[in-house]
Amino acid sequence: MKKESGFTWKLGMFVIIGLILFIGTIYFVGKQKNLFGNTFHLKAQFKTVSGLKEGNHVRFSGINIGTVNGIELITDTSVLVDLIIKKNVQKFIKTDAVARIGYDGLMGDKVLTITPGTGNAKTVGDNALITSKSAVEMADIMNSLKTSVDNAGIITGQLAEVSFKINNGNGALSKLISDDGFSNSIKGTLINLQASTDQFAKFTTNLNNGALSSKLDSTMSNLQSGTKGLSDNMDAVKNSFLLRGYFKKQKKAEAKKKADLKKAADLKKRNTLKDRINLKTKDIPNHSNLNAKDSIKQ
Amino acid sequence: MLISLKNIFVNAGHVTLFTGRFFKEVLRPPFEIKEFLRQCYIIGYKSLPLVAITGFIMGLVLTLQSRPTLAEFGAESWLPGMVALSLIREIAPVITALICAGKIASGIGAELGSMKVTEQIDAMEVSAINPYKYLVVTRVLATTLMIPVLVVFADAIGIYGGYVGVNIHSDLNMFRYFQQVLDSLDFLDIIPATIKTFFFGFFIGLIGCYKGFTAANGTESVGKAANEAVVAASLTIFIIDMLAVQITDLFF
Amino acid sequence: MINEATNIKEPIAVDTTVPVITIKGLYKSFGKDNAVLNGVDLTVRKGENLVVLGKSGSGKSILIKCLVGLVTADTGEIKVFGTDINTLDNNELNAIRVRIGFLFQNSALYDSMTVRENLAFPLKRHSKKLSAEEVEAAVIEALDNVGLPDAVDKMPAELSGGMRKRIGLARTLILKPEIILYDEPTTGLDTITSREISELILAIQKKNKTTSIIITHDMACAKLTGDRLVILKDGVIDAEGNYEALEKSDDEWVRSFFI
Ligand SMILES: Nc1ncnc2c1ncn2[C@@H]1O[C@H](COP(=O)(O)OP(=O)(O)OP(=O)(O)O)[C@@H](O)[C@H]1O
Ligand SMILES: [Mg+2]
Repeated sequence: MKKESGFTWKLGMFVIIGLILFIGTIYFVGKQKNLFGNTFHLKAQFKTVSGLKEGNHVRFSGINIGTVNGIELITDTSVLVDLIIKKNVQKFIKTDAVARIGYDGLMGDKVLTITPGTGNAKTVGDNALITSKSAVEMADIMNSLKTSVDNAGIITGQLAEVSFKINNGNGALSKLISDDGFSNSIKGTLINLQASTDQFAKFTTNLNNGALSSKLDSTMSNLQSGTKGLSDNMDAVKNSFLLRGYFKKQKKAEAKKKADLKKAADLKKRNTLKDRINLKTKDIPNHSNLNAKDSIKQ
Repeated sequence: MLISLKNIFVNAGHVTLFTGRFFKEVLRPPFEIKEFLRQCYIIGYKSLPLVAITGFIMGLVLTLQSRPTLAEFGAESWLPGMVALSLIREIAPVITALICAGKIASGIGAELGSMKVTEQIDAMEVSAINPYKYLVVTRVLATTLMIPVLVVFADAIGIYGGYVGVNIHSDLNMFRYFQQVLDSLDFLDIIPATIKTFFFGFFIGLIGCYKGFTAANGTESVGKAANEAVVAASLTIFIIDMLAVQITDLFF
Repeated sequence: MINEATNIKEPIAVDTTVPVITIKGLYKSFGKDNAVLNGVDLTVRKGENLVVLGKSGSGKSILIKCLVGLVTADTGEIKVFGTDINTLDNNELNAIRVRIGFLFQNSALYDSMTVRENLAFPLKRHSKKLSAEEVEAAVIEALDNVGLPDAVDKMPAELSGGMRKRIGLARTLILKPEIILYDEPTTGLDTITSREISELILAIQKKNKTTSIIITHDMACAKLTGDRLVILKDGVIDAEGNYEALEKSDDEWVRSFFI
């Protein structure tokens, strides 16, 4: 009988500590959830939500004030997003506030930001529909980048035309250059000038219709697909079962990190930030290089 | 070929009957409460040191291994959350279950196997004591209830291991660390992972008992029963884990 | 334990009219070509000690395992206390099993329990009304019967083979069954202990009016305890009679058991 009570208390202790750990965790996690105890709903309509997901954060003036509760297609071109927002910020959101979908950090997670309206508008009500600005898509950025590159192409083309005309044309400038009345000393200089212009012409023709321009173009598109690849990778990482839940809450951690940065402006943390920027600039060209090699093979 | 196929079906039938018998007998008195508690003690309390050591090492190693990658992204501050999540969702349940498959399933397999071989099970039967109830029901119940508790310990100790790991490279106080861990946790991380540990426990006990209870005569079948119990239980753990993750993914 | 050792068994008043165990046409085979029992017919009467002889592997153990439903016979009728055990469900079978004691050939002590727990294990489960003191008293008494009162706190692993056998016997007797099936009760014991065990079997028969089947290779035990002897050969009962009759049998093979 002595032996029996000997193991009973150990077993009891074992089970009770286990239960306390479990219930304690549940309690604290539950407490965290209930921070959003009092909430209200807002709605916003978008053409595209660019991958916004349920559970993504809603930010107002850079503060997390709620989460995306539901996303619903209402017509073939519009999506209704339902937001749960803390009650105590309702008074700051005016009827002319604007919802936008943006990026949250490097990982490419989406966040819905609400920009405050003007002070004299009325406060939003429950379930109100606020205006929205279409999301800035990565693809759009890349498209506009491409247009700039195209424009540069046209400009260099025109420049080439001009210099060609200077060389061989019959215009006033050309006459001036070829006039016998000019002194021979200038002529020597002009020969030099002509040689360099020739080279410039060669360069610009190349640039205009040759390899360089298209190379630049393909670099841009590679850059685009490279970035997309990175974002895909990140999506894959996010979707992998292990880390999925983790990334869902990364913004929480991110917000905390920012707060930390603000608070403690120590060097170490600045270095981390620098690393991050370095990574951004370092990593993307790597990708495009790889892709460029592939496209050459093809 | 046909015979081996038939054997598979016969075995599956036996396992199903054996499992069905558990649910039939678990609710029917008399209950062997004392033996159940004794098994809980052996399975739960006595496995704690092993589980604690593995849990601590898993937490520590996971932290040390994840740190460089996260540091590259400048995301070292995510380390506590990431370690906690990996531990709670996946690593602690699976590693604990595998350890218990090695320790408990084989132990049960060998114990019941040798009882079978030395006619102790027959002896119970002829003295009109239901050996299934006394041996199987108590053990399966004990593993079903104790493995989850062990996993909670592994979680806690693993997260503490993570704290030690984080502090090797940086200086983070305990309170902030656990704050970050709790911040990153969600019910969705805890509840499905906990539910699956009950299944791990159930199958560890059931497979150990089945292999032992159905051991052939002869001492070499004791070793075989223990060995087969470990193999089958480990495999089952992975299969259940895969199913659990898929189901969780489907619904949430 | 027993006051007077006797060389030749005194005839005991056997109630020959009431058969307690009836076996008719019992067949049992393992696989296709290992037929162990090939139609055993056997009747055991109330209060009788039946000794079963036979070469090793002739199926003696299987025969008594069939009686308690540990082994299911292929065909054949086994009646215990007048009911065919093949027709019973688990509860009814258990009701009969409580009335039968079974001494295993290898003792089959529960390794994880002490001797005390081994003995108390069936007792606590079948006589729920007993207090802890009564259980303890019964345990001590049963151990006294087999001459091992000091072993009460030992684990089975700490006992010798002969001691295990006697503890097994004590565990069988503690429930005071009406039928006892002894599978080689004296094998592995020295001659003195063997004799004591045989006398114990005899004393139990007298005291409790038990019916017993005793499987043995020990002719001294057979001579002392057996009211009637049968010899199992090729899966059937080959010879039957009391000790003196079989000893003087015409069959040389039967006589060879008694040399
Ligand atoms: N589970 C089993 N599977 C296959 N064959 C078995 C099994 N149990 C017993 N046998 C066979 O049945 C036969 C009889 O076995 P049993 O144990 O009854 O012999 P026995 O007469 O008691 O011998 P011994 O005197 O040595 O104890 C043996 O030949 C054995 O090979
Ligand atoms: Mg035998």
